[in-house]
Amino acid sequence: MREEFYKTLSSPIWWGALVIAAIMPFVLSSYYVHILTLALVYVALASSWNIVGGMAGQISLAHSLFIGIGSMFSAALLLKLGINMWLGLVISAVISGILGAVIAWIDFRFQLGHLSFVLITLAFAEMGSIVVEGWDFLGGASGLLLPKDTGNFLAFQFGGGHGAFWMMLGLAAICVLVNVAILNSPLGYYLRTIRDNEKAAQAIGVNILRYKITAMVISAMLASVVGTAYVRYLTFADPYLLISPVITIEIVLFATVGGLGRAYGPALGALLLVPLGEILRGKLGSTLPGLHYFIYGIVVISVILVTPRGLLPLFERLWARWRGPAVASKP
Amino acid sequence: MLEIDNLVAGYGGVPVLRDVNAKIAAGEIVGLLGANNAGKTTLINALSGMVKPISGRILFLGEDISKLTPQARVELGIVQVPEGRLVFPEMSIRENLLLGGINAHARKHRPQQMEKVIGLFPRLGERLTQSAGSLSGGEQQMLAIGRGLMAEAKLLMLDEPSLGLSPLFVQYIFEIIDRLHADGLTILLVEQNLNLTLRHARRCYVLERGQVAVEGDADTVKNDPRTRSAYLGL
Repeated sequence: MREEFYKTLSSPIWWGALVIAAIMPFVLSSYYVHILTLALVYVALASSWNIVGGMAGQISLAHSLFIGIGSMFSAALLLKLGINMWLGLVISAVISGILGAVIAWIDFRFQLGHLSFVLITLAFAEMGSIVVEGWDFLGGASGLLLPKDTGNFLAFQFGGGHGAFWMMLGLAAICVLVNVAILNSPLGYYLRTIRDNEKAAQAIGVNILRYKITAMVISAMLASVVGTAYVRYLTFADPYLLISPVITIEIVLFATVGGLGRAYGPALGALLLVPLGEILRGKLGSTLPGLHYFIYGIVVISVILVTPRGLLPLFERLWARWRGPAVASKP
Repeated sequence: MLEIDNLVAGYGGVPVLRDVNAKIAAGEIVGLLGANNAGKTTLINALSGMVKPISGRILFLGEDISKLTPQARVELGIVQVPEGRLVFPEMSIRENLLLGGINAHARKHRPQQMEKVIGLFPRLGERLTQSAGSLSGGEQQMLAIGRGLMAEAKLLMLDEPSLGLSPLFVQYIFEIIDRLHADGLTILLVEQNLNLTLRHARRCYVLERGQVAVEGDADTVKNDPRTRSAYLGL
């Protein structure tokens, strides 16, 4: 099972794609670099969510909480207590991991069904946003403004534009690699048994509590780290963006459109939909306000109607059909 | 091998089983009969740990296991083949079988165990890379039993293996059960199909409204008028 992962690590396609992505800032204008950076943020977030939502089949809406802790809390630690953001990143990730474990435990202990799990996690997310908006330490409703990014790496600064892009590229690559690693490890198989049928998973002796907690902790910590990196890039810690349940809905949308539970599915969804949304807004936002949302919505609905399991399985089918006759015609 | 002592169990504190006593000796094939709602599945779930007992004890090889988690019981060799088969549809047959042997105890012997299972079900061996969801109901039942065997079961508990199968497949599955029994495996067979079970199980328990109504060897149970009444719910 593990060979798959090492195959990916040594794959020239993987590294080639990374290198091509890495030279993008030299080719594209800063506007498009910004869009790509945003897309990478969502690649990382959707991939980290995929561990719980896709592989284990647990539609968690609590991820805004982890992103919020990673961003708002680490920003508050820096501004209010002068704690280095690298340390803030670690502290936030640990807190997110613990919270994730608690949520997974509650799910197991009270044997929540799918819908109850969704609602409980949404309740956690709402509580989180209320706490942030009402607590001045975390910036309250007005948010927090981080010091200017001067490129001081030791202070978790990456020098704006290009630096932020590369940092996000690395983070997104790590999140996708974690997906590949988990899917090809026993953990990935156990999570899929839990998703397919919890009762059957128990019948073969899968320790459901342990693996639900493991998945949630990994997912929550990754989301938190991405949150810290995202707020550094934004410079402004906006509670209405970073700890609003809307951000989770976007993540779920990207992952679903790309291909739930697949290693590259969520990444594909985010890479296509984030630029689409941004470019539509840029081109149409001024002519007829709201039209870009309309077109975006139609695209999303059509994708889900045409290929309910996501774009990745669709592309794979098309690829197989295109390859099929070519292979057959070989002498 | 297994001893059930005054077991009371149910869901949310409401007992379904009341004071159930039963015994299974090593190498035995025991039938557990009863109409719908008699508590058969609750009992099998209590044995595998998916339902927590309210009171009473379950002894396996002399040890009280009633507080153990389901996975700890699989490790001991108490393996359930759940009702309705419940294979993992998107995974291949090979993956389904390998996943049957994930407990620490069985993991070491997976290749040998796999060969045995394929020997028992050659049809599965021919389709190892096919996804489990594409199998027919009978083949899925074979896969579910094969997956249970991969766990190196000492006590194999089959929950309604004949459910929804064609008569030919039912006959085949029961031949397999007889073979496993002949190889020395201890089997608890939960069934609604009275005559079929009485033909294969040496001893039977008949549950009625959560209690043991009749117990004894197959002939005794067959001729006891209470068996019929337990089935008809009179």
